[in-house]
Amino acid sequence: MDIFLQQTVNALALGGTYALLALGLAVVFSIMGLINFAHGELMTIAGYVLMYCGIAGLSFVIAVPLALLASVVAAVLMERIAFRPVRNGSGATMLVTSFAVAMILQVLFQNLISTRSQPVLLPAMLSDSVHIMGMVIGVNKLAAIIATVVMLVFLDWFMKHQKTGIAMRAAAEDFAVARLMGIRANTVIAGAFALSGLLAGVAAVLWVSQRASVDPLMGFMPVLKAFIAAILGGLGSLRGAVAGGFLLGFIEIYLSAFLPPEMQEFREPIGLGIVVLVLLFRPNGLIPSATLKAEKV
Amino acid sequence: MKKLLTLTAVGAMLAAPTFADTLRLGAATAQTGGLAPYDAPVMEGIHIAIDEINAAGGIGGTTKIELIEKDVRSDAAQTSIAVQELVDTGVSALILPCDADPSLAAIGIVSSAEIPAISTCASSPTLPMIGGDYMFANFPGDNVQATVSAAWAQEQGHDTAYIIYSPDSQYTTMPLYFAEVFEKMGGKVLGQDTHSIGQQDFSAIATRIAALPEQPDVIMTSSYEPDFPSMLKALRSAGVTSQMIGSDGIDSPTTFSLGDAGEGVVFTTAGYAEEGSPLEAFNKKYMDATGSESQTVFNAVGYDLIKVIEAAVLAADGSTDPKALRDAIANLENVQGATSAITYKGTDGMPVRQVSLIRVKDAGREFLGSPSPDAALIPAPRMQ
Repeated sequence: MDIFLQQTVNALALGGTYALLALGLAVVFSIMGLINFAHGELMTIAGYVLMYCGIAGLSFVIAVPLALLASVVAAVLMERIAFRPVRNGSGATMLVTSFAVAMILQVLFQNLISTRSQPVLLPAMLSDSVHIMGMVIGVNKLAAIIATVVMLVFLDWFMKHQKTGIAMRAAAEDFAVARLMGIRANTVIAGAFALSGLLAGVAAVLWVSQRASVDPLMGFMPVLKAFIAAILGGLGSLRGAVAGGFLLGFIEIYLSAFLPPEMQEFREPIGLGIVVLVLLFRPNGLIPSATLKAEKV
Repeated sequence: MKKLLTLTAVGAMLAAPTFADTLRLGAATAQTGGLAPYDAPVMEGIHIAIDEINAAGGIGGTTKIELIEKDVRSDAAQTSIAVQELVDTGVSALILPCDADPSLAAIGIVSSAEIPAISTCASSPTLPMIGGDYMFANFPGDNVQATVSAAWAQEQGHDTAYIIYSPDSQYTTMPLYFAEVFEKMGGKVLGQDTHSIGQQDFSAIATRIAALPEQPDVIMTSSYEPDFPSMLKALRSAGVTSQMIGSDGIDSPTTFSLGDAGEGVVFTTAGYAEEGSPLEAFNKKYMDATGSESQTVFNAVGYDLIKVIEAAVLAADGSTDPKALRDAIANLENVQGATSAITYKGTDGMPVRQVSLIRVKDAGREFLGSPSPDAALIPAPRMQ
């Protein structure tokens, strides 16, 4: 039972990180219909900011807000420079644009910073662990769970009580009608990107605090997980993204924890098999978006 | 223009069987993508060696080295395309990427063109076995590294081990060699776990190990960044205090900047810059050439590779004929490189080189020695 509880805490921490990542994709998708595969590069940018702050001797307390700021600014710039010109293009055009942005950024990181991964200095406290009710919980796990809860509460408040948030929800439901009601498209879309940048930044801090290094290709794996989580939860639905992220985290941790040793090698195919199974029964995801009426063929 | 180039190249090749004034080397390495962290520093070392040799008038004072470089983007298919292009320009020897898998993608072209090829830093002993007569490695083999670290663990009185490996690449299965040697020497392997390369979260594995009825004395892995730091931190924060043993993949600045978690980690690598050693001399050259400290032994490994080619040209009496070079490389003995003396004679292409044991201490390197492994203990290469 102890082990089960312990693994559940692990799953909560990982699932929370996935939820933040999937939310970042979903916020933009719900409004623009774009799956931003350059989302991972926003994380890489935040990671490099943490690295440079460490080199400059800045405290982690200052480095984290700077990293978040950098990824928000980068997200807004990404929208302004790369996605605004193709905003009225087809879904495929925007998708390919996002791949291009991701690749260009990766090559820039490789050429301007380093091909090798760079160490990020982290406060020693993050490697510690605390004992709670007989369980050993790493401080970075605890931080992940707290950060996820804080971000989810913030997002809920922002979407329900903030003008931009309400406008974003309206735009997600019907962009054309929302614009007729006087909502500015540029503001809403830039807001969505800024929000996704913030989510990427928080996820990056959690991600980097585990791996202690950044490299130019770091963003690929998280964006892939976020994509799976977003599809699992229901593409374009914010609640779905959170549910999908947590479910993916639970699937991964429980398989890794409780699959018999001789089956461990097949952990990932089994995990993805479960995802497919869920989608067979709920083809639009766990909590589908009300407006994206994908049909079962 | 391209035709003209090819014609001149073919012409040059036909016209110059012995005592050529240039040796054309083709490098198809990964300057971008997942292998770039290894291949990029190797190429820096290669450039330093070539500049040094050419500044002294070339190999043996006559043969200058001309390097043609292509980026294979860490991609197997791109490696074989780049190698074909290099073969078409008439190179005398080829330099292939750091991992066995992309290097093997080029093997058909290498074998049929009969041009010797050296992988920058692949360490899987299966590479020359599968690759055939023209494929050479330039790094201590995985099975040799594992033997050195297993013997060290036993010497320290560690009797039980746990291994964590990834079946995703040949290199990351090194712990299987470790387990084989460790058991052969009388140790007990308590269990094993697998992960995938790039896996972010090791908490499930760490929790399982922490809950074992008997804690292992050592945990061995050949995972590298970003997996290794995540794994180590997860284990330590789950309360696992076993001795961690790694391999050359973690010979990187990150390993030395992990704070308390990183302290005491032991790993095998290709060399250590003792005072007065050739590696220390190389590191000075690196500093002069680039203006910064060498951060990894892979710089020196690149230098080694060119030293091997230089020795082969000298042994072949100045010939740049690919076949003569292959035979010369296969018979090289005790070539002094930057990291170690290198011997190919009597091997199938996996060189005999020194393996150094390093321990992380006070965020720096503590040299534990370069023991010669007992040949009887070295496991046979294992085909995947």
